Amino acid sequence: MTRRLLTGNGAAAWGARLADVDYVPAFPITPQTEIIEQLGAWIDAGELPARMVTLESEHSMLTAAGAAAATGVRVFTATSSQGLLYAMEMLYTVAGWRAPFVLVNVSRALAAPVTLETDHNDVLAARDTGFLQLHCATCQEVLDSVLLAYRLAEHPRVRLPAIVNLDGFTLSFTREPVEIPEPAVVRRFLPGFDPQSVRFRASEPVSQAVAVLGGTPYSYFRYEMHRATEQAIAAFEEVAADFERATGRRHAALETHRMNDAEIAFVMLGSFATKAVDAVDRLRESGVRAGLVRPRLVRPWPAAALRESLAGVRGVAVVDQNLSMGKGGILHAELASTLYGVPDAPVLTSFIGGLGGRNIAPEEFFQMASVTREAAQTGQAPEPRLLFTAQELREVRRLQGIALAERHETTHSGAERSAP
Amino acid sequence: MSEQLRSFFGCGLDDDRTFDLNDYGDSIPRWCVGCGDHGVLSAVKRMMRDQRLLPERTVFVSGIGCSSRFPHYLDTYGFHGIHGRALPIATGVKLSRPDLDVFVVTGDGDCCSIGAGHWLHATRYNIDMTVLLLDNAIYGLTKNQTSPTTPEGFETNTQPHGTYLPALNPLSTALGVTNASFVAQTADWVPAHLLATLKAAYEHVGFSFVRILQRCPKFSAPVFSEQARTPDLHELLFHSDGITVPSLDKIYKHRLEHDPSDLDRARSLAEDTERTRLGIFFKDATRPCYNAIRHLPTYTAAQNIERLNRELDRYAV
Repeated sequence: MTRRLLTGNGAAAWGARLADVDYVPAFPITPQTEIIEQLGAWIDAGELPARMVTLESEHSMLTAAGAAAATGVRVFTATSSQGLLYAMEMLYTVAGWRAPFVLVNVSRALAAPVTLETDHNDVLAARDTGFLQLHCATCQEVLDSVLLAYRLAEHPRVRLPAIVNLDGFTLSFTREPVEIPEPAVVRRFLPGFDPQSVRFRASEPVSQAVAVLGGTPYSYFRYEMHRATEQAIAAFEEVAADFERATGRRHAALETHRMNDAEIAFVMLGSFATKAVDAVDRLRESGVRAGLVRPRLVRPWPAAALRESLAGVRGVAVVDQNLSMGKGGILHAELASTLYGVPDAPVLTSFIGGLGGRNIAPEEFFQMASVTREAAQTGQAPEPRLLFTAQELREVRRLQGIALAERHETTHSGAERSAP
Repeated sequence: MSEQLRSFFGCGLDDDRTFDLNDYGDSIPRWCVGCGDHGVLSAVKRMMRDQRLLPERTVFVSGIGCSSRFPHYLDTYGFHGIHGRALPIATGVKLSRPDLDVFVVTGDGDCCSIGAGHWLHATRYNIDMTVLLLDNAIYGLTKNQTSPTTPEGFETNTQPHGTYLPALNPLSTALGVTNASFVAQTADWVPAHLLATLKAAYEHVGFSFVRILQRCPKFSAPVFSEQARTPDLHELLFHSDGITVPSLDKIYKHRLEHDPSDLDRARSLAEDTERTRLGIFFKDATRPCYNAIRHLPTYTAAQNIERLNRELDRYAV
């Protein structure tokens, strides 16, 4: 085992290398490109016996990934943001093929307006596609999750493709010390791909991806995917236990921080949750019994584990780094339905924060804790709110003022010129 | 815009404004030093000034890529779209506002890779717009990956031992599409030719496709560096109905007369890439334009209701 400074992207590439992938269809997009470039360099140097093809779009890339996996080889690919959305049609389709492979998504906020930094509307748009989703907070977790995702995706009771998600910029370009397991250790944990029924054999031709006419067979196959995803909860426990035995690192479906006697809790996804770890420690120092719950799995959704870890908590601040227009935070809605009808369920408060990579400051965590404690006391949750300061609003207003003045100037001078 | 359209929309003809280059934008572009995009931007501004294009009647549409930053640097209307979708956005703009002059700035990734499907159909629709393909033979914005026009053998970050496939030829592709009406090639390092080509493309009524060979000093410098310094590697296509730039004749010795109405010859000239040919390969103003031949309802729904009411009102007592 070696310990090395790796970016999140470097860690994702190492995951693919250690998984001994056979085929990598690729298409560049910021902030993911480094992953496929790293794999390209290794393949070229003969260090990774895989084939890589650069396709002409993410749509083709995902199609090639699913089709290759359906021939029985181990497939890895990676994208981000607009690329994931462009491939959306094929996400549903290849998940329906039940061909397991791993797709790393480097989260980046969606256009318009075009931007580069992270939030989770991209990956959550894939929530209902049939792909499993593992969300990472550290570079170590990125490497480990790629390996976990292969085992989970290829599990005989699951057989679905998986997304491993990491945050663009905050994780993709941040270097952290990462332990790289020995290839022999990984091979014991993750043997070669057993394609089972999805495979290509000349002597046994089968048709794949056939159409069904009528709702009966359609309902059957779609519900099977749902059941398989539900079964992935138990499968993940098994896989995570094997991983811990192999590497000594434990990755549970939920990561919790100081939840034992917590009175209030934050619930967050991804690398921004590490900011909440720091905030929880500071709140504890000031006498507030705070904790953090970070779902690592989003699909399957670890409902039972969430109910268990939040039992006895009085207030929960759900910090959504996404926004469902006209509804609010997606994680909030997911958690609310999970806790609905549970006796003595905590009061949920909803905050939208970190859109387009906007920072969430420690004082904002304190404010959220204060709002949530009050809500717990009164039993009344306030309206969801956006984390956005008066200073930020002034800055936007200032820019709008400049734009307005320029527009006025242009129109005015235009009119002057056209006057006789 | 044709004079007929100008008078139809009541604009332009009586507008005697003139503009200087800064009226079309004076911000400093954020392209690398030595990037060919700077030269294309200057030429575009000069063409607009010479043609007296009205900034408020001009739209620049782009997709994603280095060259797609173009609309940011022009004080016209602009639309910075998403990867590969510049052409459908421009189609929507032009079909609903035929009075506007529509330009598309796209790159070899945007047009020839992720947006290639649109390219084929936009060519066939032959909607009146000017399309500038800024071809630097590399994905520049994502920093050095193989694009469809990267020369075979050229080393990139995704194909470090050299690009495997032969490069896509955008000229033969465009010339192969049914109903293509204007296909030209020019280069950022021949400014006089670039300007003349832009002018001809703008004046053509229909889908004017101009491939502009464009230097990327950062990632694909070797692709065009020798050509850019060696006029003898070029061949200028000239014709009374094509592009003629007399000031270039002394420097660019290889010249070939080519009638742009000859599609077969255009195709064979485009196919032969031994020489860098600059000029109009093909031009046919008689090809049907979708915006001219499509059937539009004579009246809108609201107008129909009003007409019906007016008719019935005649019988009201």
